[in-house]
Formats: sequence, C-alpha cells, structure tokens
Amino acid sequence: MGTIGLGSCIALILHDRRRSLAGLAHIMLPESRGSADRPGKFADTAVSVLIEEMEKDGSTRFSLAAIVVGGASMFEFSANALNIGERNIAAVKDRLREEGLRIEHEETGGRVGRSVYYWPEGKGRLIIKRADGTCVEI
Amino acid sequence: MELDSIQKDALSEFGNIGAAHAATSLSQMLMSPIEMTVPEVQGVDISELHNYISNEISAMVVFQIQGEVTDGGYIVVSMPRETVIRLTNQMLGTTETDREIDEMDRSAAIEIGNIMISAFLDATAELLGIIMLPSPPALAIDMAHAAFASIVAQMVGDVNDVLIFNTVLTGDAPPIYGSIYMLPNAELMQQLSLMLERLMEPFA
Repeated sequence: MGTIGLGSCIALILHDRRRSLAGLAHIMLPESRGSADRPGKFADTAVSVLIEEMEKDGSTRFSLAAIVVGGASMFEFSANALNIGERNIAAVKDRLREEGLRIEHEETGGRVGRSVYYWPEGKGRLIIKRADGTCVEI
Repeated sequence: MELDSIQKDALSEFGNIGAAHAATSLSQMLMSPIEMTVPEVQGVDISELHNYISNEISAMVVFQIQGEVTDGGYIVVSMPRETVIRLTNQMLGTTETDREIDEMDRSAAIEIGNIMISAFLDATAELLGIIMLPSPPALAIDMAHAAFASIVAQMVGDVNDVLIFNTVLTGDAPPIYGSIYMLPNAELMQQLSLMLERLMEPFA
C-alpha cells in the first residue's frame, strides 16, 4: 500500500508485527471540528478509526506501532495559512500519545514532498521517496 | 460541489478569458506565439485528486484570489522544470539547459507567474465589474500532487470536493509547456454564477 505526493498531508501507518497487518491513513487536516463523514481526512478522527479497524481485524492496541511521514511546509515565503504541515504533525503525534501508541519511525517536516509505500509482510518494509530525488528504505 | 451545465459553461468561459490574457502576457514577454487549449472544468473528489494531478516534479507558483472576494480560492501556474529553465534562459539571454534549478530560475518563475496571473485576474474582474487581486506568490518546486493536495487541504475543511479549472499553454520558440489551474472556493463560485447570470440578463 502507499500514497503518492504527500505535501502538508501525513501518512500514518499502524503496523501489527505479530500479525503482519498494517493500515494507512492519508491525513489532510489537523481537526475535524465535528465533521464525521470522512474520518480519515482529519488527524483527530483518523487515529481512533484506524485503531478501531485494526482491532476489528484482530490486532490489540499493545502490538501496534506507528510510522508517521509527511507534514512538509512546501511553499516559500507564503502566507501562514498554507503551512498546515506543522499543525498536522503536532495533531497526529498528540493523538498517538493519548492513545499510548509508540512511534517507531518518523520523517516529518522539511520542505519537500514525499511518496510513501509500505509492505506489511514480516517486519514490514517502508520506502519513502522524496521530491529531491532521494529515497530511503527501512 | 455539483455544477449544472450552465454553471460549468460560465466558469469555463470566465476562466477562458482570464487564461487568454495570461497567455497574451506570456507571449509578449517571450515575443513568440503561445497556444492555449480549450479549458476544462471539473468537480474533483479529494480522494480522486491523483487522477487529475500528476506527481511529476514541477514548479508551481501559487496565488490566493483576493480583493473584493475574500479568500476566493487559489490560482496556480504549473510548469515542468525544463520550461522554467528555458524561460529564464530566454529572458537572460543564457543558453545552458542541462542544469539544476537555481535562485534565478525561482525568481523568474515567480515573476512570470505573477505577471500572468495579474493579467488573468484583471481581465476576469473587469468582466464581472469587481476587483480581484492575486496575493503575493508562493513558489514550490516539488511533486505536483503534493503541492496541490496542500492547497486543497486549505479549502476542504467541511467539503470533500474541489472545482478545478485547467488549461494548458504551449509555445514553440522556446519549446515550453505549462498549465493554469484555478480552484475557486464555494463562495467565489456562487458569486461568479450570480454575476454571470446578471451579465446574461440583457440577452434573455
């Protein structure tokens, strides 16, 4: 699974190593402000929904670890309004802390866009491609 | 945001006039002809955005639409890397094309975008009899999808789709290629259809 072209958005991956099961949420905004039709869009709702879905598939919260990627500030000398990235990162991390989930790998902030691919088999394989052409595999 | 065919026509005509002026200003800067495609208007669901915007590295100059419309949405000029380098070369009289984007390219891209979008908004605002101004430009040289998703995130707090107006500009000497995208928000769109209806009244 994967998501292309993350700018200020965040890819949140929860991984259950014991079951080789993982889920990915593409988060656009920090707060849902009560809107419930697309929980995956907002940091505050996406975290709980993703946990719920994983639990439905048999995972327990204690076996989950999180990977957080994205939240770049792409625009130079731009109005603050465009820098949602920072707020997204803070919101996702806050929610993960509240849920007591461990962040196993994090690559957030910076200036460049990223594409993220993840394979849950075994210990899980993560590939992050950055817009400046560099690529990491974990 | 569902649009009926009249609204779609209105928006595409509106954008067409704006883009034509932007193309003319680009053509004057380069002293060479610029072609423009028939514009397309689409309502795009945010989860389908990747089907409309590629993920190639491009230079995007982004403006917020301001003036008598508050936070009217965004206008983006998007150009591939090669085009930016060619445009800088053309304006500075340099020739090297096989190089990285430098500070001068960034500055040139912003300036060209600024001139084009000012022409775009001037022409369309005049048509509507209001004032529309571009915000100071912001530049990103990055994956196009990442930049668009970041812009769209600003607009879709409580809705799940955006309107995208899109036209492609091309020129031969130097060979260049670029697109103008307009992403009006719901209020601006409403204002547009109202004003366009009023414009049409004398003919009804």
